Amino acid sequence: MEIEEKNVQSNSVVDGNFEEVCPEKIIKFKPPLYKQRYQFVRDLVRRHEPKKVADLGCGDTELLRLLKIYPCIQLLVGVDIDEEKLQSNGHHLSPYLGEFVKPRDLDLTVTLYHGSVVERDSRLVGFDLITCIELIEHLDSDHLARFPEVVFGYLSPVMIVISTPNSEFNPLFPIVTLRDADHKFEWNRMEFQTWALQVANHYNYSVEFTGVGKPPAGAEHVGFCTQIGVFRKNSREAPGPCVSEQHDHHVYKAVYTTSYPSLQQERVLKFELVGEVLFQVEHLRLRHLRTLREEKRGAGTVPVPKDPSVAPSLMLGALFTEAEKARIENSPKPFCEGGRFFVPLQRLLAYPRLHRLPVDEERMRSLLADSVCLSSDGSAVTVDLHNTWDCDPEDN
Amino acid sequence: MSGRARVRARGMARSPDSLSVQCTQTSPSGMLTPVDLSDSEASFSGDVEGTSRISQPCNKGVSSGDVGSTFVEKSVKIRQDCMDLGVCTREKWAHVRDSKTGSSGIPVKLATNLFNLDLPQDWQLYQYHVTYIPDLASRRLRIALLYNHSKLSNHAKAFDGTILFLSQKLEEKVIELSTETQRGETVKMTVTLTRELPSSSPMCIQVFNIIFKKILKKLSMYQIGRNFYKPSEPVEIPQHKLSLWPGFAVCVSHFERSLLFGADVSYKVLRNETVLEFMTDLCYKIGTSCFTQMCEQQLIGLIVLTRYNNKTYRVDDIDWSVKPTHTFQRRDGSEITYIDYYRQQYNIILSDLNQPVLVSLLKSKRNDNTEPKIVHLIPELCFLTGLAGQATSDFQLMKAVAEEMRLSPLGRQQRLARLADDIQRNKDARFELETWGLHFGSQMSLTGRVLPSEKILMQDHVCQPMSAADWSKDIRTCKILNVQSLNKWLIVCSNRAENVIEGFLSCLRRVGSSMGFNVGYPKIIKVQENTAAFLRAIQQHVDLHVQLVMCILPSDQKNYYDSIKKYLSSDCPVPSQCVLSRTLNKQGMMMSIATKIALQMSCKLGGELWAVEIPLKSLMVVGIDTCKDTLGKQVVVVGFVASINPRITRWFSRCILQRTTTDIADCLKVFMTGALKEWYKHNHDLPARIIVYRDGVGDGQLRAVIEYEVPQLLSSVAESGSKTSSRLSVIVVRKKCLPRFFTEMNRTVQNAPVGTVVDSEATRPEWYDFYLITKAACRGTVSPTHYNVIYDDNGLKPDHMQRLTFKLCHLYYNWQGLISIPAPCQYAHKLTYLVAQSIHKEPNLELANYLFYL
Repeated sequence: MEIEEKNVQSNSVVDGNFEEVCPEKIIKFKPPLYKQRYQFVRDLVRRHEPKKVADLGCGDTELLRLLKIYPCIQLLVGVDIDEEKLQSNGHHLSPYLGEFVKPRDLDLTVTLYHGSVVERDSRLVGFDLITCIELIEHLDSDHLARFPEVVFGYLSPVMIVISTPNSEFNPLFPIVTLRDADHKFEWNRMEFQTWALQVANHYNYSVEFTGVGKPPAGAEHVGFCTQIGVFRKNSREAPGPCVSEQHDHHVYKAVYTTSYPSLQQERVLKFELVGEVLFQVEHLRLRHLRTLREEKRGAGTVPVPKDPSVAPSLMLGALFTEAEKARIENSPKPFCEGGRFFVPLQRLLAYPRLHRLPVDEERMRSLLADSVCLSSDGSAVTVDLHNTWDCDPEDN
Repeated sequence: MSGRARVRARGMARSPDSLSVQCTQTSPSGMLTPVDLSDSEASFSGDVEGTSRISQPCNKGVSSGDVGSTFVEKSVKIRQDCMDLGVCTREKWAHVRDSKTGSSGIPVKLATNLFNLDLPQDWQLYQYHVTYIPDLASRRLRIALLYNHSKLSNHAKAFDGTILFLSQKLEEKVIELSTETQRGETVKMTVTLTRELPSSSPMCIQVFNIIFKKILKKLSMYQIGRNFYKPSEPVEIPQHKLSLWPGFAVCVSHFERSLLFGADVSYKVLRNETVLEFMTDLCYKIGTSCFTQMCEQQLIGLIVLTRYNNKTYRVDDIDWSVKPTHTFQRRDGSEITYIDYYRQQYNIILSDLNQPVLVSLLKSKRNDNTEPKIVHLIPELCFLTGLAGQATSDFQLMKAVAEEMRLSPLGRQQRLARLADDIQRNKDARFELETWGLHFGSQMSLTGRVLPSEKILMQDHVCQPMSAADWSKDIRTCKILNVQSLNKWLIVCSNRAENVIEGFLSCLRRVGSSMGFNVGYPKIIKVQENTAAFLRAIQQHVDLHVQLVMCILPSDQKNYYDSIKKYLSSDCPVPSQCVLSRTLNKQGMMMSIATKIALQMSCKLGGELWAVEIPLKSLMVVGIDTCKDTLGKQVVVVGFVASINPRITRWFSRCILQRTTTDIADCLKVFMTGALKEWYKHNHDLPARIIVYRDGVGDGQLRAVIEYEVPQLLSSVAESGSKTSSRLSVIVVRKKCLPRFFTEMNRTVQNAPVGTVVDSEATRPEWYDFYLITKAACRGTVSPTHYNVIYDDNGLKPDHMQRLTFKLCHLYYNWQGLISIPAPCQYAHKLTYLVAQSIHKEPNLELANYLFYL
């Protein structure tokens, strides 16, 4: 059943099981068509890396669930007129437990609004991407007429994706007039493109047409099962004056909202930083000990210098790129004094896993201060060279 | 995991048809298989299952949640078993049918962690059966259609697609509902009343637990195993790469008189490192030679949390032959590499293409005999949870964790108060409760009793300790009851330890003589610092006449201890005493260390240290405990320790390794018969009464203990050959139980005093049970021990049973004070622990009359 087409908007509970009510359906898409539509949006997100994304008519929030994993997105909004559905699906958008352990780099807030796409709400203005997947065919003529003015004129995002059924494909389905009881219309390619071009011209967008759901062999002339228009704003100017006028125009009701832990939050950053520092220091310490042992053993014979970045294991671990290697080698080296082992902060910052954190040496020092032992001038992390848990592997 | 199981797991992983199930790992709870979502709403995932789903916080409206999935009868049974619901043992025993409360002691008012849950007097749960025409296979569709129907929209309901529970009765017994799918097809639903359940029925208890599960999720808590945690408010210990997630263990149950909600503070320990990081770290530390073996030893059995969904898995094996570049078969039949899969599905780029995969076996929740599914996990994407292996031996780390997790009674009560407040204030939570007719009430208080303190009987002195928690000072000058002199014994030590030995020996002899234990001068053997040298020395010098071997170990490396204990407990049975040379270097503590060691040594020689007054003249007490062997995971170690004199100062200890996965013992008949013979040998009669304390019974195993273990004991007693056979009682002992008891004084709460017994309100009506606090805690909160008398031929008054149990908690010779469980249980525990950790085989029978395992 999974590989069958779920040719209904938003793949809701009832829609998802359409096949069982209508078992004679024969055309199957692989992957299922709804997944192809979502995949289309995901590819777009991966390519364009939008920061703020809204899905209008988000239904049971499945698309949002797929999008929340992208690190570029910092604000993810879903809008639907079915409040019940939003309420019962909101919790799927809360962070995974693992995201509390290894947090994202950037903040992410997910909000679900109950409201209609033909109402203006200033909180959706200025987005990078707005998706309307299988939405417009559910709008009656009055709403459809108001839709462009709100989405293109008022919200005016950088990019808009609109998908809708292609009615030319319908004859390939048995006994189907409209694909869903709630569809107000289904357009052929000409109708959709005419509408889209007219809207695009009026609001100064350009539009490209494509689709998902390739027709079966022999019926290529009908085109994709789902037709898609990708609209891009032509001028990247700041949003028009109408926005600032109507600032804080809130008509939508926030049903659910959640924020993710991220490295932009000080507490999270500190925890991550301390963890990474200790991890790195421990590695360097153990490597130093091994070198000492090898020197002791190999006194007399010339030790073959080993590439220090390769762990002596079955695994390669993370290998450094040339640039990373250079960065590490150009930083001050770890050293020993008495029974203490010192790793300069600058050295630590050269390692990729610390390099990626948004901290400089100064910030690092202050974040580490109460969890890690620093050298007296604060320039290095210091630990005992030997600790009780070390054992010489050759002892056993 | 035993070698055999590993082979099986690997064999399955590589068999062609198992490939297709590998993708189950990869279906995240939230994304690809929507049907599972309703499962997460309701399924009871338990620790018992090895892997458990974590469901996300939920802010569902009442009518939209589909709570029902566990109502499928089979899983209901599992859950009920899990809570030991429906095991009614009290009604069989006439002497406790009306009252199971004792009388001695001073009444004390106690606050609890239990909250009243009020229901209307005539509250009932109505169970309906729902059928669809045309029949619909999809549970999601069935649930959606029913929930969307206006007829039911104002009802509180729980539905799994077939069985529907309502808190209010529909006006007709059978109701026909008609609805339309979005496609416009008409579907007829027939809702038929099948049962009316009183609030005390096990089924209702389950529904209540589901309701609270929903409520806690509305408070942004995540379920892990059976408990609920708040990862958004972590306690972080960065220097040890640990986070602690605060949370609660909760339970709704019918306690003695009413429905109560119990909650206890719990923490989830998360290690802020991936399994891959852990592996590389380990490799750095120990080198390559025994890396794979060490890795498996450290990781197998741990629970990991994956980064891309909310599930936890048990690591059952590591497959070093599979790499992320290998392919597996997806459910639609296509092949995909792990790298591509994680990139496409989760936008995750795997950095280490050489890592192996972790193997987890998913047992079916339905408890049927289907083969477990195999799941492959990428170490880079798994986080370690809990503390195990090396981490637990890191003193600094454990101290830091304990410090954070330790909560004073006041702190604990404050947390509870906040939870109660959250439940009462949260709009959704309140709504949920109201629609079911439940009212979340106040925290319950009850009256317990503090039992009179016990006297400690020494050789010629009766001592009334200042504090029952620790009487070491009180008896310092007293002689122990009885011990043979130690004349011929050995000390094996390394050359380095030589200098400390003389001082230690003179100390030992001095404290020995003051307690009446004659310690002769030993033969001292100096050896090199390695395990083989120690063993060789022991083998050379131990003969028939050696009474005891003492080893001064140069380090706490496990192999010293293990190999010495293994040899001397099994191959060549001689009591042995291991001491770390580090311990003997502690200046200023030599006297107390020597005292402790002298006491242990005299026990190992069969000595009796002290006694308490036992009013029953011919009573044998028995302790039973089980423990999983650390080497072979399929092996359970069963320990059995029985008293063999009326004074309860001498013990007969047996232990066996049982090849099974359950904790249910099947060797008890042999053990019991052996103990009775031993008793006969010493007392020329059989004991009139036998009381067995059984520890190590997990959730849901109560019925099995009643059905399999009690009959074994009974048949042994019946066949023992005397005219009047001994009368038997069996008590299940549980240290882990939810209730906590506090005294309230001057507006602050404190731990209930030692000796507090609770036998009302917080107990269960269907059991003959009580709680006893026998452990003092200067910091943190004490937890009571729960005693459940499941078999009682003796017919002792509950008061006597409670006091006897209290007395037995005084008799553990390794600690001069009260302990939290009866001594025979603690002995059995100590014995099984030694066998499971170190010797891995049956100890020699010749040692059965000595407490050689202390």
